[in-house]
Amino acid sequence: MGPLIVNEIISPETNLFLAFLIGIGFGFVLESSGFSSSRKLAGMFYGYDTTVLKVFFTAAITALLGMLFGSLFGWVDLSLIYINPTYLHSAIVGGVIMGAGFIMGGFCPGTAFCAISIGKLDALAFIGGLFLGILAFTEGYPLFEELYKAEFMGTPTINEFFGLTRGIFSFVLIAAAFAMFWVGEWAEKKFPREEY
Amino acid sequence: MNIRLKLATIFLPLGLIIAAVPENTTKVYKLTAAELLVEVQEGAQFMSTDEIADMVVQKDPSFQLIDVRAQDEFEKFHLPNAINIPLADILSDEWADFLDQDVKMNVFYSNGNLKSNEAWMITRQLGFENNYVMQGGLNYWAETIMDPKAPVSTSPDDEIAKYDFRKGASMALGGGAVSSTTSKKKSPKPVIKRKKKKKRAAGGC
Repeated sequence: MGPLIVNEIISPETNLFLAFLIGIGFGFVLESSGFSSSRKLAGMFYGYDTTVLKVFFTAAITALLGMLFGSLFGWVDLSLIYINPTYLHSAIVGGVIMGAGFIMGGFCPGTAFCAISIGKLDALAFIGGLFLGILAFTEGYPLFEELYKAEFMGTPTINEFFGLTRGIFSFVLIAAAFAMFWVGEWAEKKFPREEY
Repeated sequence: MNIRLKLATIFLPLGLIIAAVPENTTKVYKLTAAELLVEVQEGAQFMSTDEIADMVVQKDPSFQLIDVRAQDEFEKFHLPNAINIPLADILSDEWADFLDQDVKMNVFYSNGNLKSNEAWMITRQLGFENNYVMQGGLNYWAETIMDPKAPVSTSPDDEIAKYDFRKGASMALGGGAVSSTTSKKKSPKPVIKRKKKKKRAAGGC
């Protein structure tokens, strides 16, 4: 919980406990909105179900507006927000591996754990593969280290990269999100599937 | 009207507002003038020369002396292991890592109280913690530590104990005769190690 732990209002242990509660809530909502079905998730790539795109982009633009309005009103100090550092090459390679795994397995890591909690066997196989991948990466780390750390760019944000202000970039992103939703719904009509 | 259009009617205007307003660059943790006044009146930022001499002699690694006088004055004479951040440069990014941190205790000093207290007020106003001021500055340091006056023999015991400590500190720090002789000696330039940027709260997917 951002503002509480940074200002030492709560201890790291309480912070972990809050994370546990938030995690349960997240998993519950994920499962109840059907994200434990690998067919629903893979539908994103075939065009018959674009729920994934809509849910995640709606979440992103909601959080985006929340943070920016919070900053505008002086509730949030954006300079304290964690930004994942960018290692360009490993981000590209990792993205390709993750995407390929997503299409083949039908899960992303979070939804796989969501699906195994309701006893899905395909998720069990997926998580087995996930652990094999972790093992291969950690054991082979010296082999990958050079690629892993290549092209370190610090913590740039896209708006800084293009020289736009945060607000203008956000508006463009929101507009792009709704354009994608429209394309997504068009694709759902174009490539319908009866049962999945 | 489907859900997409409903959402769009809310999100797009909000996006337009955010695009139109300037970014908020104010620091949230700024002190108000009234809060600063309370701190100034309390004078809790002051550290006595005795406390500082004790830490210098003990080579306490948890504190850092910062000389806020001009560079040429610093080169003529400075306290052991002090670093030089002239008052004019106090806002430069170069020193932000030194001033805005909560690991070491920074003690500002100048010739008197004035410049060091100004440095403290500026950094405090920015919300930085752990910055202090050497009370009386170098003048008082010279008077009390480098060249302590022996108390009269009828003084209370703690006065005499204080004198004994000052005499010891003076010897350890090469005092006796003040700055005029030490200025001839070459004082080694401190190695300035850049501290790592203050870490943001970690997180991830």
